[in-house]
Amino acid sequence: MVAVEYESRIAKWTWLSAAIGPALILLVVVAYIPIIFAIGLGFYYRSAFDDAITWAGFDNFYWLLRQPGLWAALGKSTIFTIGSVSLQIAIGLFFGLLLNEVVRGRAVLRSLVILPYLLPTIVVGLVFRWILNPQTGIVNQILLDIGVISAPINFFGGLDSAMPAVIFATGWQYSSFAALLILARLQTVNPRLYESARTCGAGTWRCFVDVTLPNLRSTLLLIALLRGVWMFNKFDLIWIITAGGPLEATETLPIYVYKIAFQEFDFGRAAAACTVMFAILCAFSIVYFKIFNPTKEIEVGR
Amino acid sequence: MQDAFSKRVYRLLLLTASLPVLIFPLYWMTVTAFTPRDALFRPPYEVIPTRFSLENLNELLSATQFLGFMQNSLIVASGAVLLSVSASTLAGYGISRFKFRYKRHFMAGALWSYMFPPILLAIPLYLIFSKLELRNTYFGLILAHVSLSLPLTISIMQQYFSIVPISLEEAAWVSGASRFRALLEICLPSALPGMLSAGIFAFALSWNDFAFAFILQTDVRMYTLPVGLATFVEQSAIHWGLIMASSALISIPSFALVIFFQRYLTGGVKRR
Repeated sequence: MVAVEYESRIAKWTWLSAAIGPALILLVVVAYIPIIFAIGLGFYYRSAFDDAITWAGFDNFYWLLRQPGLWAALGKSTIFTIGSVSLQIAIGLFFGLLLNEVVRGRAVLRSLVILPYLLPTIVVGLVFRWILNPQTGIVNQILLDIGVISAPINFFGGLDSAMPAVIFATGWQYSSFAALLILARLQTVNPRLYESARTCGAGTWRCFVDVTLPNLRSTLLLIALLRGVWMFNKFDLIWIITAGGPLEATETLPIYVYKIAFQEFDFGRAAAACTVMFAILCAFSIVYFKIFNPTKEIEVGR
Repeated sequence: MQDAFSKRVYRLLLLTASLPVLIFPLYWMTVTAFTPRDALFRPPYEVIPTRFSLENLNELLSATQFLGFMQNSLIVASGAVLLSVSASTLAGYGISRFKFRYKRHFMAGALWSYMFPPILLAIPLYLIFSKLELRNTYFGLILAHVSLSLPLTISIMQQYFSIVPISLEEAAWVSGASRFRALLEICLPSALPGMLSAGIFAFALSWNDFAFAFILQTDVRMYTLPVGLATFVEQSAIHWGLIMASSALISIPSFALVIFFQRYLTGGVKRR
């Protein structure tokens, strides 16, 4: 950094603005202006049919908070987020631990675990719609053949089965994120810890509870936060698979907001709903950090 | 010994129980893509098929708009890669080579935008782009996709430049090279692997994106592959053989990505 001092201040600022400028402008234009615009728009009447916008104060928010649909969607979002994140962590933990143990073929196995995460969402959505199809889906065919079920299950079309089925699809696609982070963390755990636990007479289960889990604490908390935020925002996979249906069985907040904006064509109300969503996220993240503080590491006798 | 052996058997059992769940959906996608039409319309299916045909692929490429969608996808993804990589390379250089007051704010601001709900961005972008007549254009969607990839590529490039030693550049300056020449001839070549990974991520995010393309591109001629595929499901003339064939084709970059990701994870790219 010393050499920088030799340049004049003007030269430095020219260089700096030329270097940072494009990225800064892009960030402001494509992320920050739209966000501010969206939050502002919540305070205006704005329909899709004419460009006129008029000041609405808190009207959109009053309207929104009185909608049973909003609260239903919030409930669905909560179920979806908690269900999906728990499933992802469970599967991620399973594959993370397994990958950590397996020595031969680890590279191949890891590729297989990563693959779903890197697939386009549309592919995951369509493939699941196809294999879980009630008439021609292979899963129903196999289940019928084995005799587990007597009539085909309409996984994504059933009121009770749609949400679990969608959660399963997200678990299938996104668990690799958890698996990779958990694996990376496991590989830094000092093997001596396991040795000393063993000499104290700990079995596999006690080793897991007393050595593995405390070491994974911050990783798991971070995964839960990141995946929680992303699942709360999840629009594409749910839209592709069920579009919020059947009835409103899988209508989470992002789907609800989309419908207000592009099916009822009320952008003011949609923006207000977005703002509510964003506020919930921010509040949640802050409380989460206050309670758990994922950056804090529990040191286990190191 | 007994213990180690039983552990291995146990692991093998776990693997054989779990891997099918992981692989089966993709296996069935591939099988369906190559199933001949007559078998496709006559379930039940053979779980391990004996007959294959290229009918679906042929029909997909000749009788549907698949190639048009693919062209759109490629154009948008290339634009997003170009814009995202060049902006983030410059930014990474700036962040790692200069001291300035709001450096931490800049980086935090970039990362924070990663948490914005896409739907929260999509609605204002729809309105702003309508006004600017950027909707249903390549450039508009490229900009939207840059909003997805830029936070990530900036942090990749910043990390990468912080590994490239500044002493090389200093040596060049001492021997009379301008800052520009040092950047061009020393810094950029050594940052090339970082640019490659940033580019690959930017490509993947753009190629895989459904939400922005779905909301911003309403003209069928401007559809990218994911949006185009979603309309396939609603068209009665298009059957699942075609849908799975196109799903398989659009997944090809993901398979390539896995290979790259492996190297990235094992540190092959990062620590070179």
